[in-house]
Amino acid sequence: VEGIQEFRGEDLFSGLSGRRIPRFHLQRAFFQAWLNEKFAPELLESKPEIIECVVEQLDHMEANLKRAKRGDLKVSIHRMEIERIRYVLSSYLRCRLVKIEKFFPHVLEKEKSRAEGEPSILSPEEFAFAKEYMANTEIYLKNVALKHMPPNLQKVSLLKSVPRPNLDSFVFLRVLERQENILVEPETDEQREYTIDLEEGSQHLIRYKTVAPLVASGAVQLI
Amino acid sequence: ISRQVLWCPSPHCYLGPFNPGLPVEVPVWLAINLKQRQKCRLIPPEWMDVEKLEEIRDQERKEDTFTPMPSPYYMELTKLLLNYASDNIPKADEIRTLVKETWDTRLAKLRLSADSFVRQQEAHAKLDNLTLMEINTTGTFLTQALDHMYKLRTNLQPSESAHSQDF
Repeated sequence: VEGIQEFRGEDLFSGLSGRRIPRFHLQRAFFQAWLNEKFAPELLESKPEIIECVVEQLDHMEANLKRAKRGDLKVSIHRMEIERIRYVLSSYLRCRLVKIEKFFPHVLEKEKSRAEGEPSILSPEEFAFAKEYMANTEIYLKNVALKHMPPNLQKVSLLKSVPRPNLDSFVFLRVLERQENILVEPETDEQREYTIDLEEGSQHLIRYKTVAPLVASGAVQLI
Repeated sequence: ISRQVLWCPSPHCYLGPFNPGLPVEVPVWLAINLKQRQKCRLIPPEWMDVEKLEEIRDQERKEDTFTPMPSPYYMELTKLLLNYASDNIPKADEIRTLVKETWDTRLAKLRLSADSFVRQQEAHAKLDNLTLMEINTTGTFLTQALDHMYKLRTNLQPSESAHSQDF
């Protein structure tokens, strides 16, 4: 099978294409994005660069595997690696879809009011999906219930009735880049607010709202 | 992805550094798979040794706080290796017991501190020496409980910035 020079765990991710790009970084960024998405209460920024690279990788690996000798141990091992990556990719995309369906009016609203140059939270496909989901929900509600209501009650504000993501939920995180003076707000009126420093490598339990920008910037990893 | 050293005795391994008879480091998932196919022997990590684990267990029982573990995946590695490769691990049963005792002590401490976290309505906790497996054992329950408490508390006060209600 061409292109295999070494067979270390990290290089497995570079697949059989033999390209010399630091795949280890891609894998780490990908797993990071996956875990963050799993544990964050809201839909996070979409990561088209990472997803595109991962899909490309998988395609390359699949194509190369087709050309390989059958029965080779290498082949089965690479196949396992492909399955692992596929699993994570599926899980990541599904997690996002679940959140899009759950919070669809808010997600669309956020995307609509996004400033020029700010990163998008929806990929073009996800955006189309969300719009369609919203339209379908509106039609459904209208046909099933609203059109039978008295004329002054035939409108429903989906923005008001669909629950927002709870940004106050607690999350576990690991610190990747040291942060200083993070303000922790008090839980009760008797408590005072205080600041903490986040040391690299430390783990914490804290409200998502406090660390949301750090998750987006990659300074912390949700676990 | 944690690494496991494994030893390839079979001459079928024509892969790069997979030379028969020489130890090579691979991800755990691969090691377990190859072991199941009887292509290799697994070498346990350095800390998977009766004396070391006894020390660790005693240390954990002595301290109130969490002591650092020899591996962030000590529990997972123990379970996997003892399930699939106990023939490669000397005194496997003793090791299993020792790790379980350490685990039990740590989980008991975790339950205590989670309880006090909730009671005292803390806003933040530092959990440096906890491993992921331990965090995930109680984590979901804890965060959901905290969410419920928060909802109950905020509903006591009529807030100016009302969150959208479930219909």
